[in-house]
Amino acid sequence: MRGSLAGLVAAGFGVAVAELLAAATRPEASPLVAVGAAVIDATPTPIKEFAVRELGTHDKPVLLASVGLVLILLAAGTGALGRRHRWAVAAGASVLGAAGASAALSRPAAIPFDAVPSLLGATIAGVTLWWLLHRAAPATAAPSTVSADAQSVATPGMGSADVQSAATLGMASADVQSAATPGEVDSDARSGAAAAVSEEARPVGDFDRRRFLQAAALVAGGAVVAEGGAVGIRRIRGGSAARSRADIRLPAAADVGRPVPPGTGPGFVTGNGDFYRVDTALTVPRIDPDSWSLRIHGMVGNEMRLSFEDLLRRPLVERVITLNCVSNEVGGPYIGTAKWLGVPLAPLLAEAGIKAGADQIVARSAEGMTIGTPTATALDGRDTMLVVGMNGEPLPLEHGFPVRMLTPGLYGYAGACKWLTELELTTFAKFDAYWVERGWSAEGPVKTASRIDKPRPFAHPAAGPVTVAGVAWAQRRGIRAVEVSVDGGDWNRAELLPVPSIDTWVQWRYTWKATTGPHSLAVRATDATGTPQTATRATPFPNGATGLHTIAVTVA
Amino acid sequence: MRATKLTALAAAVAFSISLTACGSDDSTDSGSTAAAPTTTTMAPTMAPSSADSMATFGAGCAAVPTDPSDKGSFQAMAQVPVATAASGNPLLSTLVTAVKQAGLVDSLNSASDITVFAPTNDAFAKIPAADLKKVLADKKTLTSILTYHVVQGKLTPAELAGSHKTLQGGEVTVSGSGEDFKVDGAASVICGNVQTANATVYIIDSVLMPKS
Repeated sequence: MRGSLAGLVAAGFGVAVAELLAAATRPEASPLVAVGAAVIDATPTPIKEFAVRELGTHDKPVLLASVGLVLILLAAGTGALGRRHRWAVAAGASVLGAAGASAALSRPAAIPFDAVPSLLGATIAGVTLWWLLHRAAPATAAPSTVSADAQSVATPGMGSADVQSAATLGMASADVQSAATPGEVDSDARSGAAAAVSEEARPVGDFDRRRFLQAAALVAGGAVVAEGGAVGIRRIRGGSAARSRADIRLPAAADVGRPVPPGTGPGFVTGNGDFYRVDTALTVPRIDPDSWSLRIHGMVGNEMRLSFEDLLRRPLVERVITLNCVSNEVGGPYIGTAKWLGVPLAPLLAEAGIKAGADQIVARSAEGMTIGTPTATALDGRDTMLVVGMNGEPLPLEHGFPVRMLTPGLYGYAGACKWLTELELTTFAKFDAYWVERGWSAEGPVKTASRIDKPRPFAHPAAGPVTVAGVAWAQRRGIRAVEVSVDGGDWNRAELLPVPSIDTWVQWRYTWKATTGPHSLAVRATDATGTPQTATRATPFPNGATGLHTIAVTVA
Repeated sequence: MRATKLTALAAAVAFSISLTACGSDDSTDSGSTAAAPTTTTMAPTMAPSSADSMATFGAGCAAVPTDPSDKGSFQAMAQVPVATAASGNPLLSTLVTAVKQAGLVDSLNSASDITVFAPTNDAFAKIPAADLKKVLADKKTLTSILTYHVVQGKLTPAELAGSHKTLQGGEVTVSGSGEDFKVDGAASVICGNVQTANATVYIIDSVLMPKS
């Protein structure tokens, strides 16, 4: 058992040092986080869904606990085996180090350094275990006698106290898990536990045992200090991410484009708080812009890495653009228009030098999302940009802070990666982005569509003139006409309000002479090329819904 | 024995370290955690659904598919608006046919915050076939019947008992409590508090008829 204890304490120390180093340098290099993320990636979708269903929001803590449990078993096993066979120490440390390092390197935005914390931690754990086993060595002659002695010496009262402190410790860790307890309390609890270990050592009276336990307590204490440091650094860094967003002063746009013209109705620009959000992030990534960088690589002549400051030093453009989600049903809410501030992508790509045949830009987010965009849509003159500001403020955290991509005319899943960290030039033949892997179409041009916002479905307007109003959109083409039909009758032209460009929705209104009784109202739009929107019903999967938005009202 | 306790203690130390190392991601991590991309359907991240409001009840819920990748499962239904949700559920196919017939798909999907009493296929089967056919062919009557099954606002189980004005105009009366409710004295709620993106659904075993 002493070998197992040595293994656990040594592994705890090694992991804590690795976490401390990762926290201080690159948080994504944390071995435990990296292994957890790699496990998630390697888990087949049905099992993931099973986990989400059965464990709900506990799926992540359960995953991390499982990773911890495997670590504990490996560490204890290495220690136990290492007492007899010292090669096991090197083998165990190598396995753990290699697992952490390869997991860290497998992350989408990994750099070679990310292997270092795991390797350093494993080395420290191995050396520490070697030393502990050496301290424990004289007792190897009669291990069973020692534990028998220990058992007889231990008083029942002390035993229960130990159990209690172990239980308290468990609770302390549970508190930290929920992020409710400050780090100091946690450290105190653990120092207390370390003290319990050394106090307990004294009455035993076995010199070797005491030497060993003192050494173990020393290492455990070191682990607590290192881990406390890691938690503290993470806390400070996390706080600074939120603070630095508030502190950011975005430069003015060098090119402000056409503003929202007078004469648009209320709601033309969607407030940041009302803007729809569709993504897979379980928790909103919090990225410190000071440590953020964007890597442009793949089929390029000059690989580039840009800091947030580098981006802001480039000439910025401001554009009013409508963005919508491919998963929106006919008449659905996942569409919005904002004033976006960003860096045009085309000049950046020109500097990187796109190699022939690179027809796809794969954008990667901090949380591993991949979004594939046709290279042509970044180069054909449209305002494809790397967005840093939304409606006059830094990009909100949930909309991709510090930088997201935006491609006018494409659904978000095909052109608007949030929490952007990487742009890789590749081909559609070589790489399927996240949603494409799940059956959605590789390219996602926006389909012409329209929506009735007033009156609401099932409304009871009074007979007489009733204003029917809504929006219609066909980004990159623009809207030429919107028509309204009552009860399946003739199509009547609606009035179109002004727009800043073809990349936004258009607001429309039509005055209906309503007569008493139940009625249905339908809308259809025609884009500026003269093509009416598709009336045939299609589901959002795999490339956007079609059909004419039709609502029922009863005129009183 | 003693060594076992020490080992447990050491294990607890190592364990708590391993947990705290990743435990602060919901508030303080600087983007280091990889979120688990667990969804195959593209759904909004709104998460209004706490564990409580998600709790469905009733014996009829057992007939709902449990595989979350199934369009008829509670998980899938929660991510799409109500008419789309119903169309994924094989228990509600007659209702969906009626909703399409009445041209109410978009109205139900784009209404905000409603409660729908959704009769099962078995409920429609209680209506004599000839009568059902006649109703399906009469859009005005059909619309009146269907809108009588819809109440403005999302009613929680706690708010369910009582009289509620329907979109048809008439009042629907729910009696009962806990997990045992009757609608207009005749229809039983067999699976209640089913969440969709824009509606709370109570699946019932008889079709409701407006009083006027």
